Amino acid sequence: MSLIDQLAEDLARLPGIGPKTALRLVYHLMKGTPGDARRLAHSIRDLADRVHPCGRCGNFTEHDLCTVCADPRRDPAVICVVEEPYEVGAIERTGRYSGLYHVLGGRLSPLDGVGPEELNMTTLLEHVRGANGIVKEVIVATNPSVEGEATAVYLEGALRPLGPRVTRLARGIPVGSDLEFVDGSTLGEALLGRREM
Amino acid sequence: MHLTELRIRDFRNLGSQDLEIPPEGLALIGDNAQGKSNFLEAVYYLETFRSFRGASDERLVALREEMFRVVGRVATTDQDVRTVAVAYERRGKRKKVTVNGSELGRLGDALGSLAAVLFSPGDVALVSGGPAERRRFLDVVLSLNVPGYLKALQHFRHVLSQRNTALKDESPPDLVRVWDEGLVRWGTFVLLERRAWAEECCGAFRALYEAVAGDTQSASLRYAPGVPLEGRVSEQDVAAAYRQAIESSWERDVRSRSTIVGPHRDDLEVTLEGSGSGGPLDARGFGSGGQWRTAALALRLVEARTIRDRRGRSPLVLVDDVFAELDEGRSERALELLEREETGQVILTAPKASDVRFRGDVLPRWHIAAGRITA
Ligand SMILES: [Zn+2]
Repeated sequence: MSLIDQLAEDLARLPGIGPKTALRLVYHLMKGTPGDARRLAHSIRDLADRVHPCGRCGNFTEHDLCTVCADPRRDPAVICVVEEPYEVGAIERTGRYSGLYHVLGGRLSPLDGVGPEELNMTTLLEHVRGANGIVKEVIVATNPSVEGEATAVYLEGALRPLGPRVTRLARGIPVGSDLEFVDGSTLGEALLGRREM
Repeated sequence: MHLTELRIRDFRNLGSQDLEIPPEGLALIGDNAQGKSNFLEAVYYLETFRSFRGASDERLVALREEMFRVVGRVATTDQDVRTVAVAYERRGKRKKVTVNGSELGRLGDALGSLAAVLFSPGDVALVSGGPAERRRFLDVVLSLNVPGYLKALQHFRHVLSQRNTALKDESPPDLVRVWDEGLVRWGTFVLLERRAWAEECCGAFRALYEAVAGDTQSASLRYAPGVPLEGRVSEQDVAAAYRQAIESSWERDVRSRSTIVGPHRDDLEVTLEGSGSGGPLDARGFGSGGQWRTAALALRLVEARTIRDRRGRSPLVLVDDVFAELDEGRSERALELLEREETGQVILTAPKASDVRFRGDVLPRWHIAAGRITA
């Protein structure tokens, strides 16, 4: 196999990239300067060599602790549990959250052979237990999918006996949408999750 | 509701044909195995995006061809005309559905575009077959006519297969039970909608059955859930009953390593009542072929009413082999009923032109031989 085909095949394994796009990317790289291609190669190699899960929360970092865990201004009394590392970024961008995170690295799914052992759960439970009451609240921010809900139920059962409040992200009406166009189950959830004004 | 144009490419033996469908409909005449059912299968494919005969998409592609395509122009009113197109590629097993040229995120969004109901000789299995046949019937009717039903059903099935996998793996109880709330959440919606439909339709079902049977026989329809629902009316009550039923069947779930109770095990009971037979009898065990076919026909007529009541459209009626299996009296009464009910366009197939006595014989006669249709 030629080097061109080899790289195209590797790229096509990435999500959202088909064989045609992969080949176009390879030719694009060949048209640029050798420096550009080399820089990309180095970035990928550095990523593989130096980025790893944070020892505490499981988010990706180049250091022992990620920037959130290492930041003394973050509130250690609140932990927000998410499925994937990129969801940390989504919550950070809201600018409304100052607690810590915990990244599970997936969700319960017997069909895919994923149980609690396959997820980053033990460290969370140990952290909460070992913190001697410092953790007051755990926000379970798994997705509102079938698997995300089941994962939330499981976490609630495991966390509740350890002391902290366990809360779930409110589900409801997307900002900027009209009530009449919101589907019934979303509207129902929003009603159930209503809050005091 | 009517189909104004149909374009077919390499669907079964139908080759390449562009047809203008008359507003009142048509009667397609042809010998057996010429493609009459294939034609209806192609039309009904635009409603559900699958074969009503249960054939895989792969098998619908003409021999030695790479893909099939069916395109229909559908007029709801004079103003609203839309084009529904579906194509399936053998290689890549890819199905593409477009409405007015734009591809849809989910197939479900285009389901039911024709508002069609199809009567076929295979319908007898709705009554003679097991509960799974009737659950499928209910699920198709409700998916096409009740907003949110298909989504709830899909979520329900997904939770169920997760839970059953956990049971099969002999996972610890807490890892099985995490799926219970999902079952209750989506399953309750399914239960409520199925029960409401059966209650709403049982009167009509009885009346239609009696009208076709034409004698003292009668039949009734009832949703028979495994979760005891007597006296449970509100959504909360039904959810609570379901939750409790899951709780009580836990030991049996573990033993059988699958989820015992829920909408996936329910039945839509068809009961025959008649002179001489004494009390009501479960149709499956006791009916005759004629009674089964009459009950199946009544179910389809009720389906047509559901389209009218829930979607406010007169259904496009497709009849495969005009009630060939019914005796003459019943088939005539069935046709009379179809004429009286507010049906829209009618497309029916028959082996001989003389078999078609419908709407004073105004339906245009088309012919089919070796897949070729001539107007
Ligand atoms: Zn961290």
